[in-house]
Amino acid sequence: MRPGRWGLAGAVLVAAPVLVGIGYTALGAVGVVGVGAQGFGLARIGRVLGERAVWSGLGWTLAVATAATALATAAAVLVAVTFRSTRPGDRAARALALVPLPVPQIVAAAAAVLLLGQSGYLARLAHALGLIGAPEQMPPLVYDRSGVGLILALAWKEAPFLSLIAFSLLAVRGAALEEVARSLGAPAAERFRRVTWPLLWRGMLPAIIAVFIVQAGAYEAAALLAPSDPLALPLLTLERYTDLDLARRADAFVLGFVGMLLAALAVAAHEWARHRWELLEP
Amino acid sequence: MTRRLPAAFGLAALALSACVPLALLGLWSVAGAWFYPALRPPTFTLEAWRALASARARLGPAALASLGLALANGALAAAVAFPVGRALAALAGWRRRLGAALVFLPVAAPPIALGIGLQYSALVLGLGGTPLGVLLAHAVPSVGFLSLYFLGIFTAFDRRIEDEARSLGASPAQILRRVTLPLLRRPIAEAVLLGMLISWAQVPLTQLVGGGLVRTLPLEVLAYVRSGQDRYAAAGALVLVLPGLAAIAAARIAARRAEVPPL
Repeated sequence: MRPGRWGLAGAVLVAAPVLVGIGYTALGAVGVVGVGAQGFGLARIGRVLGERAVWSGLGWTLAVATAATALATAAAVLVAVTFRSTRPGDRAARALALVPLPVPQIVAAAAAVLLLGQSGYLARLAHALGLIGAPEQMPPLVYDRSGVGLILALAWKEAPFLSLIAFSLLAVRGAALEEVARSLGAPAAERFRRVTWPLLWRGMLPAIIAVFIVQAGAYEAAALLAPSDPLALPLLTLERYTDLDLARRADAFVLGFVGMLLAALAVAAHEWARHRWELLEP
Repeated sequence: MTRRLPAAFGLAALALSACVPLALLGLWSVAGAWFYPALRPPTFTLEAWRALASARARLGPAALASLGLALANGALAAAVAFPVGRALAALAGWRRRLGAALVFLPVAAPPIALGIGLQYSALVLGLGGTPLGVLLAHAVPSVGFLSLYFLGIFTAFDRRIEDEARSLGASPAQILRRVTLPLLRRPIAEAVLLGMLISWAQVPLTQLVGGGLVRTLPLEVLAYVRSGQDRYAAAGALVLVLPGLAAIAAARIAARRAEVPPL
């Protein structure tokens, strides 16, 4: 076999568990396999996709992932642009920005509960400053429909990864391009808008998409920080999968399949963004 | 001068963001009964840390199970991903893009949806609720992630040195053992470490495939936070952070990760 075939065969093997999973959830969704299987039919898909809870959960999940990704991206760009020199202060800032990189999601979520919960440390500080009395007076940041606690925890966890890429983009490509713009007489604001930002955006886009995927699928952070209504898609999927009513368990196949489809779309977007960037690479 | 002040604020904010969550976990892990609105714990105790060292408590055995799974997963995932990444790096054009997308799929798949599929496979294989089943489940996203990692490594690797060894009469096994592996010792060690970290932090796949029978440290932390036992949750969470922080301090792992997606 030619080496090219081996490469693709290996890749198919690595993806096989997911492909099997997609097939299994798809067959489960149409009632052919799994718990609650009653022979082929599209009724379950129609019923699950007709539920308001499913759409509000999906919408909420995507909105939270979008907000967390945007926040992490903004923080990464801000840090990379502000602290880009080799001065000790800038180096320290870049090192500090990377501290949460190896922190597991479950730890970020646990810390968020202790910090942002209604009797958490922030609430205690607010009490000490005389801003609130009882814990209930603290605006809810955790288990809240607005998802503030979840957004902050996810953004805190993923910003370092994006920062790392932003640092390397500016260090490797940014300085030279900006110098050209400067020598052509472009003022600072113009240089950022026309050179630095487009460079960062194009270079970071594959990673931004990857971060979005991870955040949309996040289970443990949502389990600790998300509200019960609307129920985030990963939580809703698991809830149905472990439902006491066996007939409802198969709903999880439909939801799992939807999640897999969205992930596959995101993977395609990721490859497109990476390819587009590679075309620019010298 | 105009730049200094915002930069100083930024530096302070970064320091707070890096230190406060971890410091809070540290404080909570040794706090006695510590209720709102007290700003500092009235009493201190090492009970949670002792539970980590005890075979009779929940945290200790869970930490050991996590460590065993992490070590096995690091070695297994790196061993599988190494040839896959190498073969992918030999591809060009659409084949390479398709290959990269395929190995990215296990990384991108929503963990709960992936877990449902893997639970089915594990049950069919008779591995549901067993440590081996959980290990294989952890290996799925890890192999995907590390295949992308090795794709990056082998794209930069100059294969001509292997051709040279071959022209001097070395067999493929000798080339691997005497040339390729020694040259790539460091990336391989980092790959094992990354594989360990992926397993070390894993929650949903352990929960679904382990079926509650395989208790790892992240699962115990999740359970402790949910039941409001903050001291145990904080101690367990800190233990989950330490290997990663040590790794990032020791290795230049951060720079390498720029080429692969996040955990």
